[in-house]
Amino acid sequence: MEQFRIVGTDVPRTHARAKATGSALYTDDIKLPGMLHGSLLRSPLPHARIANIDVRRAAALPGVKCVITGADIPKIKYGNWRLFPGTQDEYALAVDKVRFIGEEVAAVAAVDRDTAKEALELIRVAYEELPAVFDIRHAIRKDAPVIHESSPGNISIDRKIQYGDIRRGFAESDYIRKDTFTVHAVSHAYLEPCATLAHCDSDGRITLWTSTQTPYIVQCLLASTLGMRENDIRVVKPHVGGGFGGKMEMRPWEFCAAFMAKKTGRPVKFTLTREEELATGRRRHPMKITSRIGFKKDGTLMAKDLRIHLDGGAYNAMGPTATFLCGNFGAMLYRYPNYRFLGEHVYTNKPPASAMRGFGAPQSLFAAESQMNLAAEDLGMDPIELRIKNAQVTGDEIPDVATISSCGFIESLKEVARISNWKRKRKALGPGRGIGIGCYSFISGGVFNWFNTQYPFSAAEIRAFSDGTVHLLTMASDIGQGSDTVLKQILAEELGLRMEDIRITSADTAMTPQADLGSWGSRVTLMAGNAVINAAKQIKEQLFGAVSARYNLNVIYDLECRDGRVHPKGRPDRGMSFGEAVAMVQRANRGDPLVARGSYTPRGKGLVTPAFSFGAQVAEVAVDRETGQVQVQKMWTAHDCGTVINPQSVEGQLEGSIHMGLGYALSEQFVMEKGRTLNTTFLDYKIPNALDMPPGESVCIETYEVEGPMGAKEAGEGLVSPTAPAIAEAVYHATGFRCRDLPITPEKVLKGIEKRARS
Amino acid sequence: MPDGELLTEGIHMTVSRFQYHAPETLEEAVKLLADKGEGAHLLAGGTDLLMKIRHGLLKPKTVIGLKRIKGLDTITFGPKTGLTIGATALLGQVAAHRDIQRRYPAIAHAARETANIQIRNMGTVVGNLCNAAPSADNAPVLMAMGAEAVLLSVGGERRLPLTEFFKGPGLTAMLPSEILIRINVPPPPPRSGASYQHISARGKVDISAVGVGVFILLKGGQCQDIRIVMGAVAPIPMRALKAERMIRGKTLNRALLKEVGLHASKEAKPISDMRATADYRRKMVAVLTRRAVREAAERAHKQ
Repeated sequence: MEQFRIVGTDVPRTHARAKATGSALYTDDIKLPGMLHGSLLRSPLPHARIANIDVRRAAALPGVKCVITGADIPKIKYGNWRLFPGTQDEYALAVDKVRFIGEEVAAVAAVDRDTAKEALELIRVAYEELPAVFDIRHAIRKDAPVIHESSPGNISIDRKIQYGDIRRGFAESDYIRKDTFTVHAVSHAYLEPCATLAHCDSDGRITLWTSTQTPYIVQCLLASTLGMRENDIRVVKPHVGGGFGGKMEMRPWEFCAAFMAKKTGRPVKFTLTREEELATGRRRHPMKITSRIGFKKDGTLMAKDLRIHLDGGAYNAMGPTATFLCGNFGAMLYRYPNYRFLGEHVYTNKPPASAMRGFGAPQSLFAAESQMNLAAEDLGMDPIELRIKNAQVTGDEIPDVATISSCGFIESLKEVARISNWKRKRKALGPGRGIGIGCYSFISGGVFNWFNTQYPFSAAEIRAFSDGTVHLLTMASDIGQGSDTVLKQILAEELGLRMEDIRITSADTAMTPQADLGSWGSRVTLMAGNAVINAAKQIKEQLFGAVSARYNLNVIYDLECRDGRVHPKGRPDRGMSFGEAVAMVQRANRGDPLVARGSYTPRGKGLVTPAFSFGAQVAEVAVDRETGQVQVQKMWTAHDCGTVINPQSVEGQLEGSIHMGLGYALSEQFVMEKGRTLNTTFLDYKIPNALDMPPGESVCIETYEVEGPMGAKEAGEGLVSPTAPAIAEAVYHATGFRCRDLPITPEKVLKGIEKRARS
Repeated sequence: MPDGELLTEGIHMTVSRFQYHAPETLEEAVKLLADKGEGAHLLAGGTDLLMKIRHGLLKPKTVIGLKRIKGLDTITFGPKTGLTIGATALLGQVAAHRDIQRRYPAIAHAARETANIQIRNMGTVVGNLCNAAPSADNAPVLMAMGAEAVLLSVGGERRLPLTEFFKGPGLTAMLPSEILIRINVPPPPPRSGASYQHISARGKVDISAVGVGVFILLKGGQCQDIRIVMGAVAPIPMRALKAERMIRGKTLNRALLKEVGLHASKEAKPISDMRATADYRRKMVAVLTRRAVREAAERAHKQ
């Protein structure tokens, strides 16, 4: 194992002080002279034909500078799956039809927000209402209303995964069970609502500051929908207050801001309200999951047949990826010798679901992990023993997908059992108390290229200076997860510099090297990290050459950058400072600055991801048997994220994941009535508060991922999955009630307990 | 008097423009209220009022702030006179007040369980009552303990039992010209106790889906008198009169507690909304009533 000096230490976050003191600039903080304020008119109906829109009164209101509708914009559809244009199903403003309550129908830009809002009220839209569907069951019926003409059965995408011989697998099984689980939609609830600011210069070029996880994707899709060249659009990501998958597409306000800035010649800003976010925003896919699994008597897994319907809402958004990934995650964690998956993405007249932390895993793993717990009970085995028996290990191959190059799953299971005192607690907890387990595996970025980029997946440029500093430029997007810090740490380690020697410019499509696919799928540490190392190694070669020439070193000598100096390994005296070495290279090149570009694109890593993380989590709960209320007493986690680059960041990710998993399991849900979201504030959309957070204990299992930068892999996303199945199992252990239908509300628990008392 | 027009950009909400007044005496305040008529609204902590304005539910012409009025936040206690809570006394102050904690622990508990720390440091107990949400945490136990509202207008003072104060969601028996300046709670008699129990969908900080306040007076092991008030199960916090009648004069035991809960549950008129279904609320009335009567009785025994 390599020895590190900065990697593996709690380096404070690069932006911590600015954020804590309020000086960090988010999109809404940016104000430009003459700036207009935008506002969106949204559909009040879940499904309707637009007969007519009359904007005359709105346009005539003093202070209103621009009003646009679907009739004014180029009729170019967009969507992240550019490789398959048939999946691109959205217009920035509704054309002809609206398909969910809250769909953007018109946009106004005015001198202030109040005027823009007032103008919205003056727009008259004549709708012809159409029959609507709000759930999977009704949407896939033969007589269901058609939401998109291109998908007559309302199924927009299907994805299949199959290997082994499923029929033989079940034929050879001694024990087979089939279960159906349903999971619900939840909100990303990022603290910063979406905001965007567009500026059009006198040459007609657009600069867009926007709260996004994917500046490059926004740049490209803005170009195609505006009919402009990509390089005539610059997308800059200021500080972003969280994304969790909800900010990884081009969105209507980004288009409208750019379009109206171009039209008016004045900057245009949009900032969404929390109510808009909760009522109309992206969300996690609800799913109906039916899983059949077969075992040998001794607990050996033989086969799995998984069928998932995703409730996608009115548009595809990131649904196609989620459709594939929930099938991919269904095959993870355990060795399924025979496996079959069919996933179907269903349109309904609701706000579109999309990517959300876990990207198909929280849903799929709630089902898979609940089913393992059910099977363990029937087989008379301890749930952890059953898992260890079937666990994936380093070197395992998932046919057509990948070879697992590092895996600390069994170690995680053993460790979480030890720290939670599993064996004792499983036997002897008091009445109303229970303990349960859930596990996860996750990807470290995707290999798939549905966006059809012609650039490397991640890139980095390093400029080295004779004053001993370097400037790192990367399109990777820090959205609060800390990638700026982690990438600087990796670079500091590689070049033997201190954090304060490194300036970073990130996520600006005109200034940073092409390209980076964005912050999603836990791809940044591995992919952008590798790009940084790749560029740093080129810088080092140049520096080593200069030092070798200066000291007339034998070509077989190993050199290193360490503690601000460049020298042969073990001979710091025969070397020079980093800055002196840079100056020598620069002189040798007759003044040319020392610059290197690096990149990373996963190759030869299968179809899904370069690396997998693993982990196991145990929850202990206390259930009030009279009210059905579940209180999570403690969480224990053991997980394998490869080399830990920043322990404090990993801990933060773990706590954030538990918090999100807790809400998913127990209290968060959209209360909807005929396509209308009723709970549009944080008063009634119930995210757990600080006081609801249980204490926790965690252990990082040390593995070294050969494909990862310095051995690192994913740590931010997979951890959100095990919490709900662990809590569900703990509630079952405490009460005998098994919840197969998230969230586990007090009412469901109480009914479950009463039903059990009667039988 | 610092008058002025308050222009609020609002957080992306249309905020109406209104005149803001901050009188320094009650006399000035009631006079202003009389002058300005029905478009005037009173502001104590503002935690409910400003939300309503921001969401466009309320478009006041005039807002009269009460915080500059000296002494209006006073909390007093005397063994003979009982407890008074001034109009601008904060939820946090009531929750932390030593006399209230010692002599009226259920009132302190209800204040402490209202919203979160930030809101308790801004919002007031009286404001929580005047907002007249069916789920108001401070209403049930104050009603059960026989509290009265002191209402002041230009014409003078009048006193109204809290049990007659609520008229519907957001509606009270206050006249537009009146200010609720104080809540009076009688001194708790010997061998009496009170309790407030509530439940919500989230764990520790949340709006209540059901709340029950109970006041009990014991004689030996017998319930001599009782008042049970249920919150969030009807348009206003409501007495469970039949349950009260059922238990009066009887000796408390486990079976009786169960029965009183079931009676209260039958009397409740809950609706289904996004916070809970009617069925669940009804069941919780039974559980919380039982728990509240038990805790109130335990406190009475200790007195």
